[in-house]
Amino acid sequence: MSLNNDPFLNISNSIMNSYVKEWQAKSKKVVGHYCTYIPEELLHAANLLPFRIRSTGNKDTDLADIYMVRFTCSFVRATLDMALRGGYDFLDGLFICNSCDHTRRMYELFDLKVFKRKGFEKKVPRFYIAMPHIITDEGFEWYHKEIEEFKEEIEETYTHQIISDQDLLNSIKIFNKNRDLLRKIHELRIIDAPKITGSEALQMSMSNSSIPKELANQELERILKFLKESEGIKSNVKRIMLVGSEVDSTDFTKLIEDSGALIVSDSLCFGSRNFLDDVHIGDGNNPLKNISKRLYYRLSCPRMMDDYDRRFDFLRNEIDRANIDGVILQRINNCDLAGCDNMLHSHRLKDLEIPVLDLDREFYQADTTRLQTRIEAFLEMIK
Amino acid sequence: MVNQSKLENRIIPYKMLKQAVSTTYDLVDKILPEDGMPALRIGLKYIDLVMADFIKKAGEGLPVIGYHFAFPSDYLYCFDCVPVCVEAVSYFISALLPDGSEPYYDLINSWGHPFHTCSSQKGTMGMTLDDLFKFDAIITPTAPCDNTYASYPFFRYHKNIPLITPDLPFLWEEKSYIYYAEQLKLSLEELGKAIGQEPNYEKMRAQIELENETNKTQLEIFELKKATPCPVENMFNPLSAAAATFMSGREEKLDFYRDMLEIAKFRYKNKEHHGGEEKIRSIWPYMIIFFNLGLCEYLDRELGMSILFDIFNYNFFDPINTKSDLDTLFYGMAKKGMSLPMIKQSTEFFYPFIDDCVRLAKEFTADCYIFTSHLGCKQFGAVPQILREALRDEVGIPMLIIDLDVGDKRMTSEKIIKDKINMFTQTLL
Repeated sequence: MSLNNDPFLNISNSIMNSYVKEWQAKSKKVVGHYCTYIPEELLHAANLLPFRIRSTGNKDTDLADIYMVRFTCSFVRATLDMALRGGYDFLDGLFICNSCDHTRRMYELFDLKVFKRKGFEKKVPRFYIAMPHIITDEGFEWYHKEIEEFKEEIEETYTHQIISDQDLLNSIKIFNKNRDLLRKIHELRIIDAPKITGSEALQMSMSNSSIPKELANQELERILKFLKESEGIKSNVKRIMLVGSEVDSTDFTKLIEDSGALIVSDSLCFGSRNFLDDVHIGDGNNPLKNISKRLYYRLSCPRMMDDYDRRFDFLRNEIDRANIDGVILQRINNCDLAGCDNMLHSHRLKDLEIPVLDLDREFYQADTTRLQTRIEAFLEMIK
Repeated sequence: MVNQSKLENRIIPYKMLKQAVSTTYDLVDKILPEDGMPALRIGLKYIDLVMADFIKKAGEGLPVIGYHFAFPSDYLYCFDCVPVCVEAVSYFISALLPDGSEPYYDLINSWGHPFHTCSSQKGTMGMTLDDLFKFDAIITPTAPCDNTYASYPFFRYHKNIPLITPDLPFLWEEKSYIYYAEQLKLSLEELGKAIGQEPNYEKMRAQIELENETNKTQLEIFELKKATPCPVENMFNPLSAAAATFMSGREEKLDFYRDMLEIAKFRYKNKEHHGGEEKIRSIWPYMIIFFNLGLCEYLDRELGMSILFDIFNYNFFDPINTKSDLDTLFYGMAKKGMSLPMIKQSTEFFYPFIDDCVRLAKEFTADCYIFTSHLGCKQFGAVPQILREALRDEVGIPMLIIDLDVGDKRMTSEKIIKDKINMFTQTLL
């Protein structure tokens, strides 16, 4: 047995999956979101299935290009394109926050062009969370108030009753367990003979964000058990850390791994950044505040403009911990946030004499030969 | 002994800009007839005075504070300082120097700054990388765009310049004004610590009162633009943007608008148009093109196209109450801070922006819109088509979209821009 063609990992290959269908067959709601700053535990406690929007497999942005200029992010354009073609008609709600300039405008474009398009009759509620761009006590108070208001809106729209602290605590426990399992699997990825490739880890993370967490936990337990018993990958390939923009396609990670490398760690939002820490349970009081705390104070995305040092420290520690040979920084073209973080990373890593490659790419796999040449040259360069 | 020249050299790009402004002003003043290009003549005259004062103060050793154009510099007058607008310096060097800011864009690009980030910050980043600016501190709100969150950390994390970041929230709501007011106060206190000064809010009040007065004068000019022909020339727009970004809280800014108001009133009374005949009335809902200010004059004179206003010239604020307590003052400052060009549009969903554009088109009897789709501005990347549809459906006028970088002449050349506008104009006449 191997993880090749593992049914759980294969969920990541498409948007719709049988778990979502089963969920909706029971008249339960599926809600979409773009960003890890959305409190999934709260959605879960409301008996909603949070579905992280991605555009896996879509290579076309023709329709979305009408509404978004070409110098916006091709990942976001691809998701809009997919939605305009009906790929997200199954959603019963859309949750947007001001993660970046590209995704935040999906609130309006889904409203005007996706949910009001001819022939689409379903009423899909939309919600917006305004996140601060710095990490301060005052910012936390703001964010937590937003989450409290968000909870009320969910109760009004979906549950029609108060989401209790007990509901929230149950959800927190399920999500903490999920993150714990992902961390344990991650530990098997960074060891000398990794038990899982970067592409498989990415698939696992995407599948995990597309099905109910209870089921995902069962699958992750199964995979963890399997990995513990399996032989690791013993080879002399270069150990790479992948950092930067959103990655939701194994086309890109396979390009790196097929060039003679193994991605043994990452700092990506579909990757390790999302499971580093848990919601603190403490004495069980005010679980909503603890959800807000984790989201706000956790290792940030480059959208937080005063937290660069912490992001770099994570890289530095992970490079040591995972025995990294080289770092590949990548950005989807027009992603200013990852682009500028990568610029700073690149100089600091060079100062530390850590091999680093700074790549720009499109969301969908294009320009493959150029990318492959650069990656291969980089791997050859690493001693 | 303090070396004045060395101290002045903390703001070398301002010295470059001052020289360019002085030279251009001399040319305009000495070559053109007295009534030729008044906006340029008057604008340069006052910018020249302000630049001279900034350089003098730098020479006296006052701290150099960089600020984002979305942070009104009148708020900085609670300190004795030399305010330097990060974005404006890039674009006015791009407008007035033969080589523009392009060498500095290239400098920071080659250091790793992505090509698609905003050139308004790129220029000053390049200059700072080259040590042409030596900031004592920089202040920017966390707005209006990804470029701001992404590019400004360079100053803190690479150049070790204290970076103060009042958090500017999303949505025009009461809670946002209260939150931002607190952020502004905390930030000015933090800035004071960084430069070793206590904020003098009484001094700031006076500058804010001056801004209230200036805003009134600007509104009068704005109202006059409803007339046909438009009594204000196109060149007013970039100079007004310069006034807003360089001269907030200064007498010179008020004088600029007062002088312009007199000219506009005269033209209004005599139904005069700067270019001779007004054939097309255009609104530029976003930025005008900074790397080629000559385009303003070309459109006025060659095509008879008025640019009624660009984004820096149709956003106004409620006067700030300066007579009350400090909390009320900061509340007013926050409200103003959220009404500034680009901030206003980026701290809301884009529906009010579309509504504003439709309303302005009707009120000002515009024949068309021209949208400069600037490479750096991702926050507006989802707007043009929606706006185009709204203008078509609700006003019945077309909108031309031009993809370009408003501060870098190499992305879309002057010729292509002119060709596009010419062809668009032919469809209108």
